[in-house]
Parts: sequence; structure tokens; C-alpha cells
Amino acid sequence: MPEWVHIIIRTLISFCAMFVFARLIGKRQLSQITFFEYIVGIAIGDMASIIPDELDSPLYHGLLPMAVYTILPIALSWVALKSKSARDFLEGHARVLIRDGKILEDNLKKERMSTDELLEHLRSKNVFKVADVEFALMESNGTVNVLLKSEQQPLTPKRMGWQVPPEVEPQAVIMDGEIMDEALATIGFNRAWLKAELDKQGVAVENVFLAQVDATGQLYIDVYEDKLKIPEPQTMPLTNIALKKAQADLESFALATNDARAKRMYTEAAKRIQQVIDQVGPYLTR
Amino acid sequence: MTIAQQVKTTLASLKSAQANLESFALATQNKQAKQVYTQAAQTTQSVVDQLQQRVGQLEKEEPTYKGF
Repeated sequence: MPEWVHIIIRTLISFCAMFVFARLIGKRQLSQITFFEYIVGIAIGDMASIIPDELDSPLYHGLLPMAVYTILPIALSWVALKSKSARDFLEGHARVLIRDGKILEDNLKKERMSTDELLEHLRSKNVFKVADVEFALMESNGTVNVLLKSEQQPLTPKRMGWQVPPEVEPQAVIMDGEIMDEALATIGFNRAWLKAELDKQGVAVENVFLAQVDATGQLYIDVYEDKLKIPEPQTMPLTNIALKKAQADLESFALATNDARAKRMYTEAAKRIQQVIDQVGPYLTR
Repeated sequence: MTIAQQVKTTLASLKSAQANLESFALATQNKQAKQVYTQAAQTTQSVVDQLQQRVGQLEKEEPTYKGF
């Protein structure tokens, strides 16, 4: 056997072996949680390169250490999975860098991190003022994660005390002019409904590039012709406006009438419609 | 427009809003949204009923505008 054939065969073997071992170790290696896992990956690659490199030594000189290097991390991650103390020893634990807005200099020293590096890490999390940080820690893979002070955290509907409808994933019901029956069935509609909705907006199925239905049954359409203006679905906002107008009318009736009973009735009705608006408004105006 | 006519207009638009709410309740697959719509439709319906009564009274007071 000429030497070049030998090299090719050995390279193929090492390539296949590396593929199999990489699959065995799994996704965890990809995320490289710790520095150790990172070097294990490099070591396996290095051993694979021995196989085609040293033609005189038998194949198992390369394959065996690779196998050991694959099995060991799997075994260790099993141990780490089962016991917390083993986990702390094997994977290390996060170190707190800032607590209650105060930088912990001792912990910085233990991680051998300078003030500049700390600031850099914070900036990479879009934090430019240390004063904004409530809590920061360095994970075992070296990234710094930051918890902002509550007044610096982004505004969410919950913080504002707003009631918002739950978000449900929309379904694409028309793609490239073809109706997706499965998606339609998933969201609980059928072709007849879709036809009716399209007729309402005056569009033929063939002209639709993409149509999406959200959980409330609103249909959003994009057509091939980009200059064509399609009116957005209006029933929900219009209903909201109708309710608001009725509420205002009821209040003005209450002011206008001299009949005490009617006044009370109007006032109470206005209040109830206001309740309805508060309740259903977020659903109608999204 | 007399008050009776104005009340009738409001009644009509409330009825349409109520019907819309019911159709939204039917159209949505989301349980929470369905419940909110249904409840809103019920409350609106009760207001519609009250207004209907009031319109009856107004028509008795001003028979000229009956049927508008």
C-alpha cells in the first residue's frame, strides 16, 4: 500500500472517530460552560491529529486516548448532575462582584479582575454607570451578568399595572399564494372563513404573498404588489371607539336629563360601559 | 335631534358594539380572551336593555318621535 493511501485512510478514520466522539459528548461541549470543557475539546482534536500524523504507531494509540477523553467528561458531568458538592468542585461557582450596589474588591482580586475590566464587562451589558447596578456576578464560564436597580429596569406592563392579553403565536395561513390547511386547522379556522376574510379586504388568494392570523382571528395580509394599499383590519379599533363614544353619550344624557331616576340609570350605565372599556380595551387596541 | 333620537343613536351603536364583541368571542381560540369578550358582551347587553327601557319611556313622553 503506498504511503499516501495510508495517510488518507488514517485521516478518514480519525475524522469519523472525531465525529462520533463529538456526538457522544453532545451539545454541552458547544456551550463550553467552563474553561476545562474548552480545553477538553481542544485535547480531543489534538489526539485526532496524531492518527494520520504518526504512520508507524498503531491506530489505537490515537483512538484510545480520544475515547477516554470522551468518556471522562461524560462521567464527570453525570457525577456533577447527581451531587451539588461535586458540581461546585468540578464546575466552579459564580462569584459575586457587586452586591447591594457595592463593589466587592476582595472577590475582584480573587478573579484577578481590574477595575477597567469590570467596567468593560458592565459596558458590554449596556451598563455605563456602576451606580445603576444592584448585583453583578461572574459566572463559571467568565461572563459577567448584571441585575439593574429596580428603578433602572426596563418598563414592563406588569410594573405599570396594565392588564395585557396573552400573546399567542400567529399562524401563517397563506404562503406564496397557497393556503396552508394545517396552520388554518391549528388556529381553528377553515378555508371558507379565510375566503370570507380575503373578500372583505378585496384580495384574491393568488395575489397574497403571506397572510398571518393571530389568536384573536385578525388577518394580516402582504400582497405581491407592493404599491397596493390594503386597509388594515378595523373592526376591533372601531368597536373600541364605538364603546368610548357610547360611554361619553351616556354621561352627557345623565347631565341633560331632569328625571332623577333616568339620571341615575344613565350614570350607572356609563360606569358599566367604562368597566367594559377598561377590561376589553387592551384586547381591541393591539 | 331630540334627546329621544340621540338616545336611539347611542342604543344602535351600543348594539353593534355588543354584536362585535360577541363575534370576537366566537372568533378567538384563546380561552382568556374569549372570557373577556363574553363578559364584556354581557355587560354591554345589560346596558342595551336598560337603554331600551328608557327609549320606551321617552317614546311614551314624546309620541311624535315614536319609531325613529
